[in-house]
Amino acid sequence: MKVVRIDRRTFLQVGATAAGGLLVGCYVRRPGTKSAAEFRPNGYLRIDPDGTVVLWSKNPDMGQGIKTSLAMMIAEELDVDWSMVRVEQAELNRAWYGGQGAGGSDGTPSDGPLGQRAGAVARSMLMAAAASAWGVDPASCETERGVVHHRASRRSSPYGELAASAAALPAPKEPPPLKAIDRHTIIGKPTRGVDTPKIVTGQPIYGLDARVPGMLHAVIEKCPVHGGRPVAVDAAAALAVPGVTRVVTIEGHTNPTWLRPGVAVVANSTWAAMKGREALRVTWDEGDGRDESSASLSAQFRSLAAKPGKILGDQGNVGRAFAQAHTNVDVVYEAPFLAHATLEPQNCIAHVHDGRCDILGPLQMPTSGAQVVAAVLGIPRESVSVQMTRIGGGFGRRLMSDYAAEAACISKAVGAPVQVVWSREDDLRHDYYRPAGLHHVRAGLDARGTLSVWHHHLVNVSRNRYRLGDTPPESTEIYGLIAPPAADPKKQFDNDLLPTLIPNCRLEYSEARTAVPTGAWRAPSHNFNAFVIESILDELAHAGRVDPIALRLQYLGAASDFPYEGDNPAPYKPERLKRVLQLVAERSGWGTPMPPGRGRGLAVHYTFGSYCAQVADVSVDADKQLRVHRVVAAIDVGVAVNPLNLDAQTQGGIIDGLSAAMFGEITIKNGRTVQSTFDDYPLLRNRDAPEIEVHIVPSREHSTGFGEIALPPVAAAVANAIFAASGIRVRRLPFAASGFTMGAVPR
Amino acid sequence: MATYQLSVNGQSRAIEVAPDMPLLWALRDTLELRGTKFGCGRGICGACTVLVDGAAMRSCITPVGSVARQRITTIEGLAPEGRLHRVQSAWIEEDVPQCGYCQAGQIMMAVSLLAVKPQPTDHEILDAMSNNLCRCGTYLRIRRAVRRAANAEPRRTADTAAGSAL
Repeated sequence: MKVVRIDRRTFLQVGATAAGGLLVGCYVRRPGTKSAAEFRPNGYLRIDPDGTVVLWSKNPDMGQGIKTSLAMMIAEELDVDWSMVRVEQAELNRAWYGGQGAGGSDGTPSDGPLGQRAGAVARSMLMAAAASAWGVDPASCETERGVVHHRASRRSSPYGELAASAAALPAPKEPPPLKAIDRHTIIGKPTRGVDTPKIVTGQPIYGLDARVPGMLHAVIEKCPVHGGRPVAVDAAAALAVPGVTRVVTIEGHTNPTWLRPGVAVVANSTWAAMKGREALRVTWDEGDGRDESSASLSAQFRSLAAKPGKILGDQGNVGRAFAQAHTNVDVVYEAPFLAHATLEPQNCIAHVHDGRCDILGPLQMPTSGAQVVAAVLGIPRESVSVQMTRIGGGFGRRLMSDYAAEAACISKAVGAPVQVVWSREDDLRHDYYRPAGLHHVRAGLDARGTLSVWHHHLVNVSRNRYRLGDTPPESTEIYGLIAPPAADPKKQFDNDLLPTLIPNCRLEYSEARTAVPTGAWRAPSHNFNAFVIESILDELAHAGRVDPIALRLQYLGAASDFPYEGDNPAPYKPERLKRVLQLVAERSGWGTPMPPGRGRGLAVHYTFGSYCAQVADVSVDADKQLRVHRVVAAIDVGVAVNPLNLDAQTQGGIIDGLSAAMFGEITIKNGRTVQSTFDDYPLLRNRDAPEIEVHIVPSREHSTGFGEIALPPVAAAVANAIFAASGIRVRRLPFAASGFTMGAVPR
Repeated sequence: MATYQLSVNGQSRAIEVAPDMPLLWALRDTLELRGTKFGCGRGICGACTVLVDGAAMRSCITPVGSVARQRITTIEGLAPEGRLHRVQSAWIEEDVPQCGYCQAGQIMMAVSLLAVKPQPTDHEILDAMSNNLCRCGTYLRIRRAVRRAANAEPRRTADTAAGSAL
């Protein structure tokens, strides 16, 4: 094995495969760990003597398209024809890959460059192998579509023929340079998903489709009251159901995001397990949460909002600025709990044997999932293997690996491989919900129509509290809010807490407490915080008779106003926000007249390195029937690795965001979740989806992720359009809670 | 337990299962045809859509005993001898899937629509395809793919699999 230094944190590992091919892996060395890694036939790529090129996606794919785009980034620098490559899902391998998982839209900006470098190192070694065979200077060689050429002597050799000799060469001492953007032939080219043919032919590639020999099926009954636990189980009737083999009590873990208590019914088929569960009799300790309701939570939010909270940032003199303001708004916005409702219900296979545990399933976070499984079993994490299947939707739900821990506990108890499957009812009643909360915001314009004061008091339930995080409760809740520039800009930028030029600005936080489980939901915190900010800017613009675009352009400032010295490759640049704002205004016909009952609304947001502005075109009739005709989006993600997928993710983010804004609400009664399936927790259907136009900003900036950015602006864009069309200001989501219904768009 | 003789994708298959077992679980757990998906178990989302005598049906709420004499077509049966159905080809051309979990059901719904309405209007496409939920929001590409499939020259062999008797 050879190691080549890339930068302070990153090393590439190079070696030969048993069959004489060339294999390049890449891993991040963490401080305090040894650089040496076990050699295994895995990594980012493999070239076989017969010319086969296999590329591995280190991260799992749940529809965000990373399996395709990471492979595109490797293939670009390896310089092979895209039609030559086969893409495989990597399994968990800490030595090869460091951390693995999908979250924070981080795969493209952080893992993509590692793959590019892995490709570039392999290419340089193939050129060196050819140069050595031909007795020429490697610098006089070049590559094209999987072939090394030496033009002067008219010699060429395909990669496959060079694989064995390249594998025997030392790795380059310095990382080879990457291609200039203008020379890209794969990055930037619209490319179909590598799994699309398997999906449309119904191949069994999802977690729930996985099977291992001797596998049993399990379903789990949990206490209907959040935070409750089983105290007595009468399993006789369940065990009498044909096919049911065992009933297993799961104790749960101190950290409820790792494992919650329940009673599992194990059977030789999914249906038998489900029937057995219906016959199960469990006595519950309902715990402290049984008196909670949406009304009691709302009362708690209001009570906290009436009292001072924790000041997270304060500049200027907010009190004096309000006294001097020409236009004031003083408003309350309310967020409901939201469920993830991944279409593939939670499921996982675990096999505990010989002091080990093998996990096979739809894990969004295999690295932390292995840690969770190890912790609940009390075994070293090196004794947990994880194979990731394709994932039938994530949206943040599978940042938790509780379903893997459940499968592991049951497998340990029954001594056989077990597949856990949740029903849709389990999924909606026992989710880790997007936190509910309330925002009290006062803001004002001065006599010139300039945004002069902003006082934001966020009151909500902290998902960081629920997961027993070691940072303050507000740390997970403030993404995307605006705040005075902090003493430590790195901390501010890394938390997506956006610095502002508003001269008088205060950010305040109060934490509400609940037994209701909470977690991240696509564009966490951004997904509602953007709705609040962008709606209030619209309120101010209307109240002060100011152009809403001019209002935003004025307060955003420029990157030079907020110096940043961190290692984020794509820090927040207000100029890029302004650019998408101006582009969407141009392309949407912003400012042109609309017929009565119809209106446009605008919103713009920054999330995890990317920028998106949207204009929604809606109509509202006298019965509050809402039709969303069209959404125009302008999006900036730096160099767009796969524009076909960027278009898809933007459409999907808008439809997901609209669905949540229109319908999404989990309510609590007697400590229980009220909703249970898609009739009381509806999703947008095809006929309700607007036409969507996506305009991509041409860019040479660092590529950033785009699985989340399109979602946050849409609720505000539609709410602002509802106001323009009807004069009704919606300050609470979902729209349905204010009496709106969804009407199909006329065609 | 009861024994049933099912006709699935042109093959006769004998299975012994609980009489109330939904067709979905008979397909997935007993016949090992796992292309048909479990989404809600209540016939709301459409991920489990299969064709029964050519008509779209929710396999998650269809007791297996009720379809023992009918012809069942699943996503695996759309492409006999590996020749893709024109709906599948259109789905690839438009790169419809994101997570992809709902798409087998979407494709079966589209096949059943085109069998009855070879040239559907936009309204008919929306009416039919609004029966199936997509959590990722691929609806616009689904519309395009159905139009593309409708406009494609039907290939006789591929069509015979699912559409001949519809």
